[in-house]
Amino acid sequence: MRNSMRVLSNVFVVLSALCFAVPAFAQGGTSNPTNWVAIAAGFSMAIASAGCGIGQGRATASATEALARNPSARAGIQFALILGLALIESLALYTLVIIFAKVK
Amino acid sequence: MTSQTAPAGDDFYSRALERIQKIMLVLGISALITACIFFGWRIGMGFALGATIAYLNFHWLKKVVAGLADLTIGSGTPVSSRGVVHRFILRYFLMAIVAFVILTISRESLYGLFVGLFLPVAAILCETAYEAYTALVRKM
Repeated sequence: MRNSMRVLSNVFVVLSALCFAVPAFAQGGTSNPTNWVAIAAGFSMAIASAGCGIGQGRATASATEALARNPSARAGIQFALILGLALIESLALYTLVIIFAKVK
Repeated sequence: MTSQTAPAGDDFYSRALERIQKIMLVLGISALITACIFFGWRIGMGFALGATIAYLNFHWLKKVVAGLADLTIGSGTPVSSRGVVHRFILRYFLMAIVAFVILTISRESLYGLFVGLFLPVAAILCETAYEAYTALVRKM
């Protein structure tokens, strides 16, 4: 199982390297420069999504753990979780807006 | 003093989510009228769509969290965990489809859509200000 996971991770690393290789091969002098803004935008969205995903996962895990320990505090925990999830989602939206403002 | 104010305070804070949804409605309608008057109907239409998605998103988020709490505690009507996950993912699909459609139709509307998507944040900020004001004035 661990071996197959390692093979899979190696495959994904090679595939991601190939994604970079395609625009690199397409370069021909100064006529078609690499669009670094688009690449940076993709990376920033990926990082923001990953951060928000981790944040939402941690918030949900903590809330469910707290609920299981103390079910009588359900109202407060639920309220805090909803607000937290909504605000975390808005962080990814901020990134998306900035990307749309910069990449045209 | 404390024993009298505590239940009132609990009741006040337990209705915060309802208040946030009402604030979203009020803010959305007033901002839609303002956008249509000052920026044109295209941006207004984008804002209306964004605000609708944000409102639905918040409503579904509330339902998903309630379902999750039911699952964790084991109370209420039993809900399927698959349904909870599907609803959670469906929200993102809806947002992506609407954004794509608007992007292909009009770019101006997209800016309105983005502003509309931030409606819950504005409503939460208003609720925070209201709670702070109430805490200061009524000593809750």
